[in-house]
Amino acid sequence: MKLKRIGSLIAAAVIAAAALCGCAGQDKKAAKETQGDPDEQVYVGTYRSLTPDEGKYLSDAVLGTDGSVFYLEGNEFGVNLFSMKAGSGESSQMEVALEENMIPTNLGVDGEGNLLLGIMGYDDLEAKEPVLNRVVLKKLSPDGGELLSVDVGEVFLKNPNFYMTELLADKEGNFYVCTDMEIFVLDGQGALRGQVSPGQYISSMFLMRDGRVGAAYLGDRDFEVSVVSPDFRELQPVKSSVSLAYGTYQGSPDSDFLYSVEGVLYSLNLSDEKPVEILRWTDVDVNASFLDDFKILSDGRVVALTNDFTIGEGGREFIELTKKNRSEIPEKEVLTYGAYYLSFFAERDITAFNRQSEKYRIEVKEYGEAGDDTSAKVDLFAADLTGGNIPDIIDLTYCPLTLEKLVSLGVLEDLNPYLDGDDVIKREDYMESALKAYEREGKLYAMMPYYGVDVIVGKTSIVGEGKSWTVDDIMDLVDSKGSGTQLLPGADRWQILYLMCTMNQGLFVDKESGTCDFTGQEFGKILEFVKRFPAEANYDPSLEQLRNGEILLYRDTVTSASQYQMYDFMFAEPVNLIGYPTFGDSGLTLSSNGTTVGMSASSENKEGVWEFIRFNVTKDRQENVGSPNGGFPILRSALEKQFESDREPVYGKDENGAKKEMPKSTWASNMGSDNFTVEVYAATEEQTNRMMEMIETAQTGERMDQEILSIIMEESSGFFEGQKSVENVAEVIQNRVQLYLNETR
Amino acid sequence: MKIREIKFRKIVIPNKKADKKTDRRTRRGKRISWGYLFPSLAGVLLFFVLPFLVVIYYSMVDNPINKQFVFFENFVKVFNNAAFQQAASNTMKFSLVAVPLAVVLSLLLAMMLESEIPFKSQFRTFFLSPMMVPVASIILIWQVLFHFNGIVNDFIAIFGADKVDWIKSSHAQVVIVILFLWKNLGYNMILFMAALSSIPKDILEVAILESATPFQIFFHIKLRYLSSTILFVTIMSLINSFKVFREIYLLTGNYPYDTIYMLQHFMNNAFGQLDYQKLSAAAIMMSIVMVVLIGILFLTESYFGKDVEG
Repeated sequence: MKLKRIGSLIAAAVIAAAALCGCAGQDKKAAKETQGDPDEQVYVGTYRSLTPDEGKYLSDAVLGTDGSVFYLEGNEFGVNLFSMKAGSGESSQMEVALEENMIPTNLGVDGEGNLLLGIMGYDDLEAKEPVLNRVVLKKLSPDGGELLSVDVGEVFLKNPNFYMTELLADKEGNFYVCTDMEIFVLDGQGALRGQVSPGQYISSMFLMRDGRVGAAYLGDRDFEVSVVSPDFRELQPVKSSVSLAYGTYQGSPDSDFLYSVEGVLYSLNLSDEKPVEILRWTDVDVNASFLDDFKILSDGRVVALTNDFTIGEGGREFIELTKKNRSEIPEKEVLTYGAYYLSFFAERDITAFNRQSEKYRIEVKEYGEAGDDTSAKVDLFAADLTGGNIPDIIDLTYCPLTLEKLVSLGVLEDLNPYLDGDDVIKREDYMESALKAYEREGKLYAMMPYYGVDVIVGKTSIVGEGKSWTVDDIMDLVDSKGSGTQLLPGADRWQILYLMCTMNQGLFVDKESGTCDFTGQEFGKILEFVKRFPAEANYDPSLEQLRNGEILLYRDTVTSASQYQMYDFMFAEPVNLIGYPTFGDSGLTLSSNGTTVGMSASSENKEGVWEFIRFNVTKDRQENVGSPNGGFPILRSALEKQFESDREPVYGKDENGAKKEMPKSTWASNMGSDNFTVEVYAATEEQTNRMMEMIETAQTGERMDQEILSIIMEESSGFFEGQKSVENVAEVIQNRVQLYLNETR
Repeated sequence: MKIREIKFRKIVIPNKKADKKTDRRTRRGKRISWGYLFPSLAGVLLFFVLPFLVVIYYSMVDNPINKQFVFFENFVKVFNNAAFQQAASNTMKFSLVAVPLAVVLSLLLAMMLESEIPFKSQFRTFFLSPMMVPVASIILIWQVLFHFNGIVNDFIAIFGADKVDWIKSSHAQVVIVILFLWKNLGYNMILFMAALSSIPKDILEVAILESATPFQIFFHIKLRYLSSTILFVTIMSLINSFKVFREIYLLTGNYPYDTIYMLQHFMNNAFGQLDYQKLSAAAIMMSIVMVVLIGILFLTESYFGKDVEG
């Protein structure tokens, strides 16, 4: 009898335990099958590209109060005004009477549905540098009829580099002209009423429901939203119990204003305690990073203008979101995208994938808030891990867990069978070194669509023309220079220690046998060397120090062949891009710069996950979607095409009308407080070849383990501060690291 | 006799009505008692038994994703792990040294405070004060004392001795034993003082009248009466010796010098690395050892203290 009772108690406990283990998994299944209440109203998007024809460009666009979009399209002969109707998507040109050498540059709206036009006049548009001599503001009715035209040159021509970023008019007929950091208020006759500046870049200027004009900008401490009053010379911060964060702000007829922060569109009345959430942009396949303008129309539709600057001229879209019953929308299989931080690239790729896929839809699951610390985010991931709720797609670019850790936990699926069995993409078309970056023990765990190369840059006359170097080479280099020479700009001991150790784990640690040796001469030499450098970083190194040899090296991540020209400018001499000191063939490493994701080994929809991974590395995406700083593509043909484009010069005419090579773009950077811009011309074949060589020879091995590095950093301080000898410090490091290695075996 | 027979008959004759009533009452009583028992039973089941079963489950699968049953593979792996062996050995050494010291010293202190000495109350407060100090402050005090540039090294330097890296050398375990004793002696002492005061005075007086020596009184009377308290103090000290990880962790982090690397370090690090299999296997092994140790202590106590309690 007793045994029976004990048996039944154990059985009950086991059943309950099984239920406890399995319940999380059941939730996940239920969530995947259920798309929500069929009668629920959800937004459905219509996306219209505003891509101009070949040879044309789109200079500005604005949403009208009726949901139409007005845009300025230019070509070599001039700039024209167009409108596109919401609903039908019909586009038509609007005739605007313009005098000779006058170019419309900016669009705006007033509260009554009229269109505002900012026009610049030049002396001679054919001249090399035309001189601005007129500024005119026009008010047009929605059908294009001119209501008002005022010459405001007297106000603005004092600044020869004047340009406007935004234009608005309030209900009293005052014009508001924004120029990056200043707002000018002019009356209906064009006379200046006031001029205010927050001293910061103004990110949004908008018309509030009561007709006042608001401005949003990053203040001294927090993001601020203020009212621009024509009678005050200061901006009046709005009073609201809601914390207004960095984002895009726009006017609204039904609330004080709309704003989009962290991917969510809100409507806010200043007297309310909290805003009303309208929609999450990713739910309607819109990348919030690209938002330019949005409006809620009286019938509930939401219209928005986006500008994908990574595509170039084809990046502008007019989006119309209409509410429909969920039952009217075709069902798709849901894939979860787990991210510790949703990067710009991930958001862009997910929205693009969702729009084109008829079968799958990716939903993002972010672990914690942006401000949460890493351990809190890892705890959330751990809870999912134990509950069997691992997302189908795991973002690896910002994952605080190392690839090795994820592999050891059995979280990631080997992608080799998918890559080898794919009908569309072929392994041999991809850069081998980039594929190997996420390969461990023959298994491929991710394909990084874009990546950068981590390099150390130095003058060729100083570092030579070698392709790699060792820690001894660096020590010899510093020894050959005078005292006070800096190795890296403003670097303290910790940065130098990191430089010397990060690629040299193999020198001290044998992971296979689980042993380490920090008590040898080599490690002692590194500590002695590092001790020469200052304990505190100097945060204000200068270009001059780099040029005169006081600073020897510069550390960076190369994402474009044109960076060569920036380094040439910085060092004022030819440079060599070597890599971190190592005993291997190359100290160069690749770091992910795009949507690098892994497939969950427990995903119920691995085919869908593979489709997303493949989508990001297809020829079309690799060749056409990227960004100047987005890094090198993994597809060899796309990389070669990029280098080809980098080598292609752009020509213009000099003052005598002769053909002259023109800059292709401009790189802006800084060294301490030295800000500089470099005009980038076509890259040389030698530069792109070296870039290709760097990518091909980049190391794929892991860097020094963070735990080992932190033990080294912690213990070394005793030696640097003169409390302990090198031997004492090395002995403690040896002891602690060996313990760590024993534990992780 | 007659009456007895009648009574006897009354008992043996089955009275169905009365039996039914009794049965109903018994069942009702059982239901009520189960009703009262249910909250605690459910609590124990939900918060102790179930999690333990989940831990057993995790210790027998390869990882939380695959959930492949691997039987005792994780136990074998953990048992053969050099860090686990080091941690088990350190924990055992520490407990073997620190627990007896904590019991003996606190008993001596309790006896000292039982005798007629001046400033008894002040001494009692002094020994109890570490209990009131937060762990972070204790760590701060210990760092000030035992840091490479700490007070202890300054003190020994007066006698010309070289500096000792107390916390990051083989001396570290001594430092931790001192810390453990400093923190736990007061509480143990109070328990012993209470136990000592509850020893029947008449027995002690009889022993004195019978010319028993203080030595005989202590070993043959006091120690017998203290046996259950000694068991309790030993178990508490043993549990506290396993919890000394908290202080070591705050002093030295995840990976201390190997002589003070305890079992809880091993488990805490496994948790941090999301290695639940390793963690579960180690936890089960540790709990088995604890159960065995406490069982032995119970047997010892019942052997030595049975005549006193009986």
